[in-house]
Amino acid sequence: MYKMDRKGSAELLNSETNHSKHASCDSLASDSKSSSLNSKLGQESVSSGKGSPSKSYSSSSSTSTENVVSTLESKIKGKTNVSECGPSSRPDDPPLLPGEKVQGVAREVTYLCPYSGPARGVLSVTNYKLHFRSMDRDTPNVLDVPLGVVSRIEKVGGASSRGENSYGIEVFCKDMRNLRFAHKQENHSRRNVFEKLQQYAFPLSHKLPLFAFEYSETFPENGWSVHEPVAELKRMGVPNDMWKISKINENYEICDSYPTVLAVPAQATDDDLRAVAAFRSRGRIPVLSWIHPESQATITRCSQPLVGVSGKRSREDERYIQLIMDANAQSHKMFIMDARPSANAIANKAKGGGYESEDAYQNAELVFLDIHNIHVMRESLRKLKELCFPNIEESRWLTGVESTYWLKHIKCILAGAVRIVDKVENHKTSVLVHCSDGWDRTAQLTALAMLMLDPYYRTIKGFEVLIEKEWLSFGHKFQQRVGHGDDHHSDADRSPVFLQFIDCVYQITTQFPNAFEFNDHFLITILDHLYSCRFGTFLFNSDRERAVEGVKQKTVSLWSFINSHMDIYRNPLYWSPSTYQQVLVPIASVRHIILWKGHYCRWNPSMRPQDPVYQRTRELLVLKEQLQKQAEECRREQQSRAARNMATPPRLASPIHS
Amino acid sequence: MNDRKTSNSFKSYVGFEDDFQSLHPGGEDSITELNPRLLPGEVVIAEAQNVLLFAPVSEQKQGKSGSLWVTNFKLTFVTTEERPKEESIQQQNLLLGGNEVCLSNVDAVYQLMGDKKRRLMPGSNVSVKVSGLHILCKNMKVLSFSFKFSPVGHGKTITNALLHHAFPRRHSLLFAYDYREPYYNFQREVCSFRGLADWERELSRTGCQGWRLSAVNQNFQLSTSLPQWLVVPQALLDWQLGDAARHFRGCRPPVWCWGTSQGAALVRMADIDPTITERVKENVMLENVRKSHPHLKQPVLHDLSKDFPTPRDVQLSYTKLRKLCAPESLQQFWIQDNRFFSLLEDSQWLHIVSACLRKAIEAAGAIQEDLTVVLQEGDGRDMCCIVASLLQVLLDPYWRSLRGFQTLVQKEWVALGHPFCTRLAHVLSVESKQLQSPEFLAFLDCMWQLLQQFPSAFEFTETYLTTLWDSAHISVFDTFLFDCERDRTLAATDQNNPLMLRSVWDWGEQFPEEDIALFTNPLYEACSPSQPKELRAQGGLPSLSLWRQCYFRWLPFLEIPGGGQAQIDLQHRQLSAEMAALQRGESVPEQTLTQVGSFFPFSHGITQPGALLASSLTLNRSFLPGEAFLDSQSLLNSPD
Repeated sequence: MYKMDRKGSAELLNSETNHSKHASCDSLASDSKSSSLNSKLGQESVSSGKGSPSKSYSSSSSTSTENVVSTLESKIKGKTNVSECGPSSRPDDPPLLPGEKVQGVAREVTYLCPYSGPARGVLSVTNYKLHFRSMDRDTPNVLDVPLGVVSRIEKVGGASSRGENSYGIEVFCKDMRNLRFAHKQENHSRRNVFEKLQQYAFPLSHKLPLFAFEYSETFPENGWSVHEPVAELKRMGVPNDMWKISKINENYEICDSYPTVLAVPAQATDDDLRAVAAFRSRGRIPVLSWIHPESQATITRCSQPLVGVSGKRSREDERYIQLIMDANAQSHKMFIMDARPSANAIANKAKGGGYESEDAYQNAELVFLDIHNIHVMRESLRKLKELCFPNIEESRWLTGVESTYWLKHIKCILAGAVRIVDKVENHKTSVLVHCSDGWDRTAQLTALAMLMLDPYYRTIKGFEVLIEKEWLSFGHKFQQRVGHGDDHHSDADRSPVFLQFIDCVYQITTQFPNAFEFNDHFLITILDHLYSCRFGTFLFNSDRERAVEGVKQKTVSLWSFINSHMDIYRNPLYWSPSTYQQVLVPIASVRHIILWKGHYCRWNPSMRPQDPVYQRTRELLVLKEQLQKQAEECRREQQSRAARNMATPPRLASPIHS
Repeated sequence: MNDRKTSNSFKSYVGFEDDFQSLHPGGEDSITELNPRLLPGEVVIAEAQNVLLFAPVSEQKQGKSGSLWVTNFKLTFVTTEERPKEESIQQQNLLLGGNEVCLSNVDAVYQLMGDKKRRLMPGSNVSVKVSGLHILCKNMKVLSFSFKFSPVGHGKTITNALLHHAFPRRHSLLFAYDYREPYYNFQREVCSFRGLADWERELSRTGCQGWRLSAVNQNFQLSTSLPQWLVVPQALLDWQLGDAARHFRGCRPPVWCWGTSQGAALVRMADIDPTITERVKENVMLENVRKSHPHLKQPVLHDLSKDFPTPRDVQLSYTKLRKLCAPESLQQFWIQDNRFFSLLEDSQWLHIVSACLRKAIEAAGAIQEDLTVVLQEGDGRDMCCIVASLLQVLLDPYWRSLRGFQTLVQKEWVALGHPFCTRLAHVLSVESKQLQSPEFLAFLDCMWQLLQQFPSAFEFTETYLTTLWDSAHISVFDTFLFDCERDRTLAATDQNNPLMLRSVWDWGEQFPEEDIALFTNPLYEACSPSQPKELRAQGGLPSLSLWRQCYFRWLPFLEIPGGGQAQIDLQHRQLSAEMAALQRGESVPEQTLTQVGSFFPFSHGITQPGALLASSLTLNRSFLPGEAFLDSQSLLNSPD
């Protein structure tokens, strides 16, 4: 139940009596369809706001291609609405999630939409989102933005600003858009909105909790139980003769950014592991990520060795690597894939790090995969955003895309993963992957290679496991890379590493449209909630931090939300792995890499997503099911008729034929 | 970078100089048995033995050995090696095999000299030893041969034969004149727009008022490039038209080509002849066009010679695009890959496609506002054809069926005189290199873009469009062989050697049924009366993509095994077949899903296991009536 916030919402008081049912609880799902921004292209609104807000809401939020996803989605909304939403108020007020509270409302605010022009309406701020609804009768322009996506808020214009819409607020977002609102100076509404936005967009900087800790919706599925580390290892046949499960890190003693459950060579003693940890940056020792079910070739991951300028060696580390190699009887060789450009790897020696020398590690071949660091990637995405939002300069579009280097980075990561797959699958050779700390590029490479090698990770649940395992449990620093609830927008630790991974997954799905159980709506939903702070999944930097903060107990998992209505994330073209090839080898040529317009250009209504094929396939499948049912009924009818005929003596006792 | 091995049927011949014997596992005598398959009327002109055909972009390190022939129809390579198994998943052209190209498809011939190559001029003679040939085709196919092991003189002979016969100086030297296969025209579906009836039918189908048929161009006495029957403003008298025509380039006054029942029409006309300074006649004609509109609305004039790509631009752009699709070496491939987007932008190809689409969208907008659109351009036979066709596809669902589309090409391109012979460079002349221009490909690319944006609006597939482009270079069919109807009529009625007209639309002449089945789109749903008729297409550059099947199919390592659009298409075919079975009251057969490469049915080299199911391929027609589809839609939208 929601409590009224006294501040700045006197208007709401009289609304308590108004019991009109409210629109959508699932604000994000609707905002992913970009409500207002697409409304221009959208079809005629079914009804205007007043009568049935839920209807106008979903109509304004769907794109012009009234697709099945949105239809299904609005059905789900319809279901959850009634039960989950608190007593609602007037149609102007934002739909609220359980645990969400309105913190401030400003009227006569103008949203300066870069596509459909200025729209006057009501701006509300809750502890979860920013909500704007225009006053237009026909197609209300609705904007619903979780505050988690906000990276920076700035005031535009001052008391002396003249000219229309020159005074207001600009909101810079992590999801490829900026929003501008104009306030009327005489209303003095800006200060309150600005303050509330600051507080709830950056709760950690204001000693407030993240929304995930206040959000109280319940789902039939429990996403926290999706990944059971021991069960997942068991799925791969571990423990076995060569690999064991070690509890040495149960209390995060060896490595505070690793999970408690580790799979290591069976021969390695705890003392070995401690010695290896001492020689690996931040104690991130080589551990098992994946093992080939037939050849036993493995993918292991770790951080860089602490070689330093003096070229230090560790007998234990060298022996340990030999154990990993020996665990695969098929090959007497092993590859160490260093994700970095060689120059960066060399430069790391000065800071005590470095790479394995082939002299020290017998039979191991070192390969540099030439993937750049988080700073390069951040800059690349910044350029891409500049290119895609708000407006696209068409004549130089292609060179513009090229000059961001984004696709080149994507190609490079994919090519690296393809090399790992090639070694493991075709040469039956084990591969050890690391970069500097082994939580950014390493996670990209191991997770992608596993996705290509193992069809299990291409299912919805399998992909969730993959993220839980390779990204979350092995300590990709989501908190730092995304900067949840933190107002240091220029923090050098922020970087779109996970986004790049999802983009690479998208590229593979476009090359192999039948191989994945999920569609790109699933990927976009994951990205939306990477920032939204509605779910606990992507909060904090490591398993240890999440355990300390009680994330599993106090927040909802994103997978609970997704797995509770999986249908909208299913790919109708999916072939189950029993009929489809096991290993995917995407082509890592820029000729095949495409810009993910459905994500990077999603706010631009003229960049309409062009995948109505899905929709048509869904329709055909539904139709086929219908036909099958009809055929089934006919058959049953015939059978029962035949049975009847058998029971009663045939009436046509055929004197004719005798 | 990419160290993935592509499995194909080519043998590795790294260091083949040292080991010549390995080339002929079957011994010398097997080679003498090789013979090309000849069509009736086809004769061998030159032969070279012990030739190596190199795999694409193989750095001349992988190849097959065999014999090479030039005939009056094709360049053909026959190999001693057994036919690769994947042949069955390749398109089977009945006229041309996998290692054969029609001479009309040959665009440029290069002499290989070590690492370098030298372009050989068409019609010239080579007098030195030729050790290798590199042939670039109009449809971007590349062939590289080595004569290192051929008997002395064979390379030179074949080169000279190619330089002469692939670039004939007279039209009557094209193979169509020699082809002796009897032909019984089975093709009745597609209107030719040669006679009165086709134009009459089109007038009444569109319900466009204010226009009439004129016989003023009987026997091509008015304009040599226009058809014999013209649709002209009702109020305009034949003598006025004849008088005015002389003021236009190519004597092409405004002619109607399409319209709506509301009254808006689509009109094409040439520029005023450059020798004439005053534009009175043009204004008179436009005034007549205005009067033909039931509401006497002023027509909208689009001058396609201003701020619009010219045929020359298209050719220059195409040449650059082809460089990206036919790299000379793997090294060059990766260098291009690094800068692919800027090279693509530099080619301007997508810009041209975008310009055509946008112009068509803009003009379609005017028609929707019930304004007549007049397209004006030089001779009114080039970019006009692209824009006029696209506009009609956008507005009129009739053209989106397979039959409709072929009829449209027949009307806007063939009948109204797109100079195919000149633009496709079928015949060599002094200025033929200057005039060559694949405008038809630009149009097909536009169509492909629309197919991407509206995957269920068209009855045909990208495979059909690609095949159509290939067919434009086969000198058996008359459809794309002539500059205008007059030339065709003359050739067909020539007393000495009358040309048997063989329409390209008679696909059975070229392909078996399984391949023709791949032309129809399993997702197609004919536009139902309740749906909006027009397609709201996006023409902006960011909305376009590169037509990979057509342009990259000759690069085997770019083929995604078991992936790409082809896989989706096949799946839909299978689904359709299952549903058709259900509708007939049969149970759905247990089917194993088939995997093909992304260039299917143009796969080369990649072998993927899995037999193709004939049942899923022979589905000839889209099986769903419009109503059935509506049912499923209402089912989806109904509240539970």
